[in-house]
Amino acid sequence: MPTVRLRDASEYPEPARKLFELSRGWFNFEFEQPPAMSRVMAWDLEVGGPHGRAMRRAMGPGEFARSEKEMVAAVVSGVNACPY
Amino acid sequence: MDDAFWYEAAYVVGMTNALNVAADGLAAVPGDEPALAPVDEATPPEEARELFDEIRTFYASSEVPLPFRFMAHDPRYAAEVWGAVKRAFSEHRLARRLKEALAFAVSLTSRSPWGTAFHLREMRRLGVGPRGVMEILGVTQMFSSYTKIADTLQLEPDMSDIAPVDRSPAPGGVARP
Repeated sequence: MPTVRLRDASEYPEPARKLFELSRGWFNFEFEQPPAMSRVMAWDLEVGGPHGRAMRRAMGPGEFARSEKEMVAAVVSGVNACPY
Repeated sequence: MDDAFWYEAAYVVGMTNALNVAADGLAAVPGDEPALAPVDEATPPEEARELFDEIRTFYASSEVPLPFRFMAHDPRYAAEVWGAVKRAFSEHRLARRLKEALAFAVSLTSRSPWGTAFHLREMRRLGVGPRGVMEILGVTQMFSSYTKIADTLQLEPDMSDIAPVDRSPAPGGVARP
């Protein structure tokens, strides 16, 4: 069970909800609620904003494709033994 | 993305760790412990010579990577490990350059100085440029951040439905009715 209560998207201010729209586009998936991590990072947009932009810059296509980078992300999460 | 890609990635992660634990763990063993000293490349046991040549060819290098020099005290064991490593790192569904990128990310994440340096060299040898290296560093850093945030807040997985389930059988097997 999470340490914090994850707020519904409707409990966030407008700028955060814009971030959730970006998240939906990034994953190209209709979530009932934004992913827990998106909601966590939207708690403080002064952290979540630049963190999200750094993530999108790192994950965007370059020498490696997005799909290849998703696999790198998955193995890093595995090595960190993170079930999320 | 079907499961075959993920099996290959998992094998790469496993074999990367197997090599890293030997290279990093044994590096601190005093040199007067001959059972755990790396075998001299110039004078390997007779049974390991062919193996060393094959390894050098695979990596296009004049040097045999350190973990195999430790393992070569038991050439049959070293040959079996090499068989698994070679298969795991060869190009099948995933390109070899991506496999080296995965191994680099794994080594960096698990703080393996030997693995990080070795797989960085391999990535470069296989054509990954400075931008590509930076990309893998960035992904490794960002997801090392996300994972620790998720762990701290004990977040539960909520994105497993994004990808469809692969219903195909194991290689050579029969599909479930």
